[in-house]
Formats: sequence, C-alpha cells, structure tokens
Amino acid sequence: MLKMMNRSQLLYIPLILLGLVFIIPFGIMIIGSLLNMTLPIGNPFTWVVHEKFSFANFGYIFKNAPYLKWIINSLIITIIPVFSNMFFSAILGYIFARKQFFGREVIFWIMMAVIMIPSQLLIIPRYIMFSDLGWINTYLPLIVPEIWGIMGVFFVRQYMMTMPKDLEEAAYIDGAGDFTVFFKVYLPLAKPVIATVGTFAFIGNWNDLLTPLIFTTSDEMYPVTVGLASLLTKEGNFGVEMAGSVLSFIPTFLIFIFFQRYFVKGITLTGIK
Amino acid sequence: MKRHWNKYALVYIFLVPILIHFSIFQLFPILFSFYLTFTNWPVIGEPEFIGLKNWLGLLHDPLAWKAIGNTIMFSIYYIVPTMAVGLILALLINSGKKGTGFFKAVFFLPVVTSFVVVSGIWAWIFKGTDDGFVNMLLHAIGIEPQLFLSDSDQALIVLAGLSIFKVCGSTMIYYYAGLQSMPHELYEAAKIDGAGPWKTFWKITFPLLLPIHFYVAIVTTIGSFQIFDSAFLLTSGGPSNSTITIVYYLYQEGFTSLRLGYASVLAYVLFFIIFVISLIQKKYMGKEVSYK
Repeated sequence: MLKMMNRSQLLYIPLILLGLVFIIPFGIMIIGSLLNMTLPIGNPFTWVVHEKFSFANFGYIFKNAPYLKWIINSLIITIIPVFSNMFFSAILGYIFARKQFFGREVIFWIMMAVIMIPSQLLIIPRYIMFSDLGWINTYLPLIVPEIWGIMGVFFVRQYMMTMPKDLEEAAYIDGAGDFTVFFKVYLPLAKPVIATVGTFAFIGNWNDLLTPLIFTTSDEMYPVTVGLASLLTKEGNFGVEMAGSVLSFIPTFLIFIFFQRYFVKGITLTGIK
Repeated sequence: MKRHWNKYALVYIFLVPILIHFSIFQLFPILFSFYLTFTNWPVIGEPEFIGLKNWLGLLHDPLAWKAIGNTIMFSIYYIVPTMAVGLILALLINSGKKGTGFFKAVFFLPVVTSFVVVSGIWAWIFKGTDDGFVNMLLHAIGIEPQLFLSDSDQALIVLAGLSIFKVCGSTMIYYYAGLQSMPHELYEAAKIDGAGPWKTFWKITFPLLLPIHFYVAIVTTIGSFQIFDSAFLLTSGGPSNSTITIVYYLYQEGFTSLRLGYASVLAYVLFFIIFVISLIQKKYMGKEVSYK
C-alpha cells in the first residue's frame, strides 16, 4: 500500500493524523451534546451505536439557564466594539500613516509601547474606577475601554503607508478635502485590513473570560463565556456541558468560516516579515 | 486660521478624543495601580498608605513564589512545543498540495474557539478516572489509568497540552507566512548541490526563519506568562497549588480576598518579568538576519 503512494502523497498521512487530533475534541463536543447521559461511561467509540441522540440537552439549557440572555449579552459587548474598532482603526490608521502633525511619531510609539504592559495590570485600577462610576454589572466596562485598540490602528497604518502618494494627490488637486480623500480613496482600498481588524475584535471580545468574570456579578449579565463556565462548574452532566459548549462555539465557528482568509491575512500583516 | 483648521480637522476631531480615552483607560490605570501597590484597600473605605509593606510581603509569601515557579514551569512545558508543532504544521500545509487549505482551517480552529469551550472538552479527555477519554485509550493498550488533572505532578503538563493545542494554529500561520516568502533560488541551488530534504531544512529553511522564530518566541513567552483561563476553569489552581499561576493568584488575591494593593504588586511582578524577557530576547535573538 505504502509503496503504491508516491512521496508527495505520503504527506497526507501526517496531515490526516494531526487533523484527527485537532478534530476529535470538537467531534466529542458535538456527539456529547446530543447524548442523553449524566456521564459518559464505557468506550467512547461505542456511544454512537448504543446511545440515542436527541436535542434534549439544548432544551434543558434554555429552560434552566438564561442562555439566550448570555448570548445576547455577548453579542452586545462584541458587536459594538467590532464596529467601533473597525471605524477608529481605519481613521486613526489613516491619520498616523498619512497626516503630518506635531508629535505624530511620539504619540504613536507611546501607544504601541503600552501594549507591552499586560492587560492584567489594568484590571484592578479599572475595577476601582468602574465601581466608583457605578459601572459594575453593566455593559459599560466591557464596551467603553474596548471601543478602539492600538493593534488595529497599527495594522491599518502599515497597510496605508505602502499606498502610493499619487492616489491622494490627484484627489487633492481636484479640490477634495481630507474627509473626501479618506472616505473615497483610502477607506475603500483598506477594506481587507479593516475586515481583519473586525474579525480579531470579534474573537477577542467574544472569547474573553477574565474581564467579564470580574466586571459582571449577576447571572443575567454574564456573557456566554462566564455563563458557560458557571454551567461547567454547576452541572455534573456531560451532555449538558457539551450542549452549552456547542451553543457558545457556533457564533465563533460561523465568523471563522466566513472570514477565515482574514485571520491568515491579519497574522501576516503584523509586520513580522 | 481656516487653512490650519482644514489641514488638521481630522486630527482634532478623531485623535484628540482617542488620546483622552487612552489617558483615562490606559495611562491613568497604569499609574494608579502603581500607587495602589503602596496601599491597603479592600475596595470599601479609604485607601490606607502602607509604604513598601505589600512589596516586602511578596518576599515572605511562599504562595507567590510558588505561582512564579509554576508559571515558569508552564513556560518550559509550553514554549518550545508550541513553536515546534507550529513549524511542523506550517511545513505540512506549505507543500501546496490539494486540500492543505482545509487542514490549515482545521489546525486554526482551536485558536478562534474560546478557552471555556476547549476546557470543557479537555476536562473529560483528561479526566483522572477510568471513564476519562485518554484513560480509556491507555487502558486499551494496557497502561494504568493516570490521575492527570488531579495529580499535582501532571496537572500543569496537561494545562500546557491544552494551551499548545489551543495556540499552535497561530504559530503555524506565522511560520506559514515566513515559508511563503522564502527565496526560491536557494532551494534550487541546494537541489543542484545534491542536498536532501533533511539537510535543506536544517541548512536553509530553519536558519532563514530566524526572524519568525524570534517573533514567535516573544509572543509565545509573553502569552505563557499570562496563563489564566485554563488554570481557572480546569483546576482552580489545584491540586495542592500546583497550577496556581501568577495571573490566577493575582485574580484570587484581588477579587476573592479583595487585597487590591497586594494584587497590584503581583500585576507589577508580571509586568517586570515580561519586560525583562522581552529585553533579553531582543538582545540575544534579534540579531540581524540576511537572506544573502
């Protein structure tokens, strides 16, 4: 058998084996969510044969936990930062790449240096600020600090710096102002990088655990990550846990499928080459 | 005046509000938490200035040293495997054969999935009883069941395994980007000189990837020192504190024990460690690399 394959086809053996390692956990999650059982017992490879599939676990979750509210919370604290990040990255990226003003480089590199500081350092002072402002257990601490991010600005700036100057010069000669140049010339051209910024913001905010864990205190205000984590500790029911995981996984998975090429693009855009 | 406004309108309208936002939510908290390290403040009431007490307390806190030690051990288990697996995956998908795009998506899937989801599955895969997934596999080949997450020697390794699984997809993409930009002529030359694939890899591909190794090493190291989610979700720092990491301990001190001043000290310790690592890596690994 092996002899019949040529060298390049042999490549598929490690690919498939490794692929299985990556796929099996997700397969377990999906199969587990459909099984009606407290704990998986016995050889998992026989589950499919012996157990009956049903959506009972999903029904159980929606009945016993405010799961829909968790998903809505996650959407609120994700969608707003996604769009504001795309907008601010675009306009600030343009300003830092294309506008001349006093202190431009200094301001930009101070902001970049701050990324070095681990976000965990910010959490305690922010907690004090937000509790003074009465923001704890509202959406505000999860949205307001996240409305823009320097990494997104960096991506767009890198992208726009490589664009030829002739582009804007023609527009300026025609009498266009900065707003027109930005909206009509640079914004359309920067669409791929802006989509990248959006996908990263989505994944980052949707999956964040530590921040909402600290800034939300009631069941009703949890985003899906914290809600699911509480479900995982409360339930001892494997099927229910996996059903919760599937529900939280679906939105990320859909975003991933639709915007997959932007993730790859985004990582290559970080300027490592 | 009008001309000036026209020229800088965008800067005033958009940059100024963002600078204010930056000052409130980034700069001020950084300075404020430094002040907090000198106070005792259980959130309610006024902060009490206690000088260096928190900092000195760190020296006599065995749990803090345990957390730092655990985090370093975690990095040892995590950094090199993450880089190696990422590189292997990148080499595999870089061959450009049919269907590699599909595998690229498969390997990247855990990166976009939340730790909470992956941890839920992992909890059962590495369950320390006979009905855990890996234990069932071990049983099938005649190996004793392992305790995994409930064993203080193994728990941290299992968490590292989870993080490698979760993150190596993005390492793969960094390497993939590097491999895609490799100069073709060198490979042609190597082929003419009769170098085999093994030799070509070690003599050409691996050294040419040096800038990527450097970048990935920094990103992975910084990430490893910030590990929290899996320690919180899977082990809650246990068994017998074997998975208490710096950030987990910070969370516990700050938000369970409400010792915000001391937790701020831990946050600064984390910052110093990351800062020093970045400096060292910059000094020793950031050497100029040329393709010529």
